[in-house]
Amino acid sequence: MFDVIVKNGVVVDGSGSPGYRGDVAIKDGKIAAVGQVSGEARTIVDAGGRVIAPGFIDPHTHFDVQLLWDGAARPALEHGITCVVPGNCSLSLAPLKIADRQRLIGMFQQIEEMPPEAFTTAFEWTWEDFAGYREALEKDLSINVAPLVGHSVIRLWVMGPAAQERAATDAEIRAMQDLLRECLEAGAVGLSTSFVDVDENGRPVPSRFAQFEELDALCAVLGEFGRMLQCVPEFYATDITLARIDQLAELSLKHDIPTTFSPLFDTLAAPENAERAIARVEEQFARGARVWPQMQTRPIDISFSLLRPSLFFARLPRWVRILRQPLVDRLAALRHPETVAKMVADLGPDGGEAMMGRLVARGGDACPADLVGQSLSQIAKARGQAPALALIELSLENGLDVSFLSASAGHQSTDRIGPMLAHPLVHIGASDGGAHLSSFSTYGDTGYLFSEFVRKAGAMTMEQAVAKITSETADIWGLKDRGRLQPGLAADIVVFDPDSIDRGEERPAFDMPGDGMRYVRDATGIDTVLVNGQIAYAKGEYTSARAGVVCI
Amino acid sequence: MPEAVPEAVIVGAEIVAGHDGAAELLVRLRHANGVESPVVLDEETGLKLMAACGASHVDDLAGQSWRRILEAS
Repeated sequence: MFDVIVKNGVVVDGSGSPGYRGDVAIKDGKIAAVGQVSGEARTIVDAGGRVIAPGFIDPHTHFDVQLLWDGAARPALEHGITCVVPGNCSLSLAPLKIADRQRLIGMFQQIEEMPPEAFTTAFEWTWEDFAGYREALEKDLSINVAPLVGHSVIRLWVMGPAAQERAATDAEIRAMQDLLRECLEAGAVGLSTSFVDVDENGRPVPSRFAQFEELDALCAVLGEFGRMLQCVPEFYATDITLARIDQLAELSLKHDIPTTFSPLFDTLAAPENAERAIARVEEQFARGARVWPQMQTRPIDISFSLLRPSLFFARLPRWVRILRQPLVDRLAALRHPETVAKMVADLGPDGGEAMMGRLVARGGDACPADLVGQSLSQIAKARGQAPALALIELSLENGLDVSFLSASAGHQSTDRIGPMLAHPLVHIGASDGGAHLSSFSTYGDTGYLFSEFVRKAGAMTMEQAVAKITSETADIWGLKDRGRLQPGLAADIVVFDPDSIDRGEERPAFDMPGDGMRYVRDATGIDTVLVNGQIAYAKGEYTSARAGVVCI
Repeated sequence: MPEAVPEAVIVGAEIVAGHDGAAELLVRLRHANGVESPVVLDEETGLKLMAACGASHVDDLAGQSWRRILEAS
């Protein structure tokens, strides 16, 4: 007697091989049989001809905090993701001394844009060490978690405030090595570091004060466990990225570890950027190094409000001049009819329709709810104004705290990105799930992979796409019993419709602690998600299953 | 008199989308040996560079010394 049989589907086993009609049987949380399965089961899931695939793995997230009150990392799980990797970009919630909590909260809020209540009321902060964090995490998981430990918090533990001031001494480096070893023994799947991130005051995060000797010493410890080094390189600065790739390759070869850098973006402003990075990665793999570039599927957006000057207006000198003034002077200028008339005239005879009409009102703290999601063109027409004037007046009416989004402003060329995503050395990831909450949605990248790059562009087959985000990810990260539909492996499974799997429209949701807002995308085409053999999501609803584990 | 060493100059600039939703300034430099390479500046630094160069438009940055970037940083 099996526990579950998922039957009557097209088995796409994660290997990249063509799918075939078949079933998957589950016993004790593991896959027991794949193919034409006979026998009985306590639960039958009728796939109805849809695809049965391994659960998707998201290797770049910031769900560290959310997982403490939402063990499903919603909406990640409903998109078919059964394992997330939090702790990226040098930041994790452990190890961390009580005295350093506020400092870390500032760094997390800078990246995640999470409301303060998320740290004060949403969970009980009981731990200091990594084992304690793991224990807190495992209480209520319905998704699997493969956590990284952050270089910045390791530095903070050992050096205190000096972690953001100077290089470490030899003794401090040895203490960091011991601490990292302890975290890896407690279940961390690797170390994350960052060369670009800043805290809430614009100061570099602690990992950026490390000299190469420190990173080398920490990688020696990773080598004892064969674990991953993740880093955030300098975006678009191609030559520096190439130097980082070479640096990661040296660490990979010296310590026999996998390394990954994320994200790698394509931009039409520097079309050689991603191409040269991938070419250098090819060279380093040919030497035997493992340096995996992570590339996200979704385009990136620009969002801004008139609260701060934005480079979005860089082609409008008068706007830049006015928006760079102190707030009082800026407000006075924006309320001055003649000045505003000149600003609108700067946009030309269409009043800004071409440059601004497609902007979307995003909220901020003060945008009227009925306008959220509308284009500036729509808003302007309803107000009987030119788009540029509507932008100014709507902002003024709401204390300037209205955000606007310019969608698909980068990493947007499907024709260019499709072949890169299909490249055998490009690791699909970098979703940033759980981060940038109030700026844009970081969910649904897997659905977009299928809708945009499989169905629309034909950049890869459905089976190749599944392999990219299942077995290949598991292999890169050393997640030994995940990523394939194979007897004996964990029964992480997603049943989806290959003709409709997609990401939904971006929408605001007020489901953060303290009624905090974030942008989300619902899933389309996902029928059922099983985590370690238990149905965690089915027919549009989350279940009460709590079978998620910290998987290493 | 020692001969002046040729220095990198800005040959162009573009607004690009940063990973966190901010607009960033991608400045393209041409080095003394003729090689071009991009450098990306965050929003504040990009705006400071434009102000320092008296640029009313990103295209006005062309021809400026790379040292203006240091001044803006």
